[in-house]
Amino acid sequence: MASVQVSEAEKVYIMHGVRDDLRVDGRGCEDYRHMVIETDVVSNTDGSAKVSLGHSDILVGVKAEIGKPRALVPDEGYLEFFVDCSANATPEFEGRGGEELGIDLSNTLYKVFNNKHSIDLRSLCICPGEHCWVLYVDVLLLQCDGNLFDAISIAIKAALFNTRIPKVHISEDAEGGKEIELSDDPYDCVRLNVENVPCIVTLCKVGQRHVVDATLQEKACSVASLLLAVTHKGMVTCVRKMGGGSLDPESISEMTETGKRVGKALHAPLMDLLKKEEGLGKNRQKVGFLR
Amino acid sequence: MPTDTKRLRGPEESQSPMLFLPPDAQILKASSRDGSRGHADVRPIFARCGLVSQAKGSAYLEAGNTKIICSVYGPRETERKDETDMKSGRLLCDFRLAPFSCLKRGAWIQGNEERDLSVALIESLQPGVCLHRYPRSQIEINVVVLENDGSILAHAVTCASIALADAGIEMYDVVLGCTLRQDGDTCLVDPTFAEESGNWLGGYGENQGRVTVALLPNFNQVSGLHADGEMREDTLTEAVRTCMDGCHKLYPVVQHALLRAVKRKAPPSVK
Repeated sequence: MASVQVSEAEKVYIMHGVRDDLRVDGRGCEDYRHMVIETDVVSNTDGSAKVSLGHSDILVGVKAEIGKPRALVPDEGYLEFFVDCSANATPEFEGRGGEELGIDLSNTLYKVFNNKHSIDLRSLCICPGEHCWVLYVDVLLLQCDGNLFDAISIAIKAALFNTRIPKVHISEDAEGGKEIELSDDPYDCVRLNVENVPCIVTLCKVGQRHVVDATLQEKACSVASLLLAVTHKGMVTCVRKMGGGSLDPESISEMTETGKRVGKALHAPLMDLLKKEEGLGKNRQKVGFLR
Repeated sequence: MPTDTKRLRGPEESQSPMLFLPPDAQILKASSRDGSRGHADVRPIFARCGLVSQAKGSAYLEAGNTKIICSVYGPRETERKDETDMKSGRLLCDFRLAPFSCLKRGAWIQGNEERDLSVALIESLQPGVCLHRYPRSQIEINVVVLENDGSILAHAVTCASIALADAGIEMYDVVLGCTLRQDGDTCLVDPTFAEESGNWLGGYGENQGRVTVALLPNFNQVSGLHADGEMREDTLTEAVRTCMDGCHKLYPVVQHALLRAVKRKAPPSVK
């Protein structure tokens, strides 16, 4: 992963700061950096969103395609995740360099959504056992400045909120053959219920304390971090310890508690913001990629 | 490869008929766990070291029907020269599920699930290995699951740490793994494959999840934590504690296996 070199003196400075609840950029231990969210940025997708968190830039596009349901769950559609690490972000990602990180990120996303409540997969079913909607969630990393997981999960939630799936009707002819008809009206769409989509909160253990939304410098000071995917109700859908260090059982429960609190607090303003942006309609100010 | 056009070819995709069996609803009753195993009991494990003669260290572990073999090669000089951090060694892992190990036949090439398990295994083992003692070198860990009957990650962690110890790699502590399956208010420690996946697909209930913990028993530090599903925070914390207890139960067997291997390598001098 993209990383920076931090000298010992700098590490001590950062760790002492964290001990006193004061981080290098002036934040407290549980504060996120400034976040910019914009939805509907790519016209060719069914739903898209761009999130910048500090200098981390994530672009997510959702495409809906008709596929065949999985044999074990014939009445459900499914989601496919793919994370691409652009070489724009860091030269390390050139060629196949970003592949490892990309697979790691997408596998984590599958786990985050591996439950029955995050997305109502049954609403993606068109005809049980034959046709369903497959949502391809493609994540593109444009810039890496730490805390990719959190930024990606927020971008995915925003993109799924923005997703509009065309309405289809199934007509049956006399011989029992089925035909799928697409609605003529391009605005005749179904929306997804994204209320239960979890957000990821990554907590980095720095010294004796843990910080939310670590920058690359802070990450270099931490040996272990805990990733938690939290829904708006405070349910935890995925946990993962990352990094080369180990954690005390005591600090795991502390971090889970913080993660739950921070994650829960993240959802309400995010949904408000998304609804507000949508309410603006054509009047909204486009931010785009150049800021 | 040229295909035989004369031959009647089967469908492009095929599935095992076993997959379409109705899920066994009785699985989550205590009495139905094989033998007299209670909810919080781990399956008795069997562990042996030094079975692969070519490897620096190796281990075989059996827990119920889950059978795992692991071999360790190295330390040897690292292949990647571009690595910035040369001061400490790195672990490489190749985690494979044998094609016949699961209910559904798998492919020979490493799939996404196996890569994910490799990453999880490295993350869990790394805190236990004194990597700073092996600068500029890599240690290769190869894991093959011969039969998958649940809790493969947890048992692979235990098996790999025995193999590392058998290879004489310096370690702070052995790493023990334990999995737990949460289903509503009941939790099943060290689930079998049926318990692990059963009911989950059909049920829309709350508190469904799977937790895997890797523990350094002497330091009482958690070196790996992986969970998915959907759980309340208090259930999760409780599950981690239960898993840690489960890990401690494996410790005597692991110690015994290592002791046996050491005695065989250097038999006590007879006077």
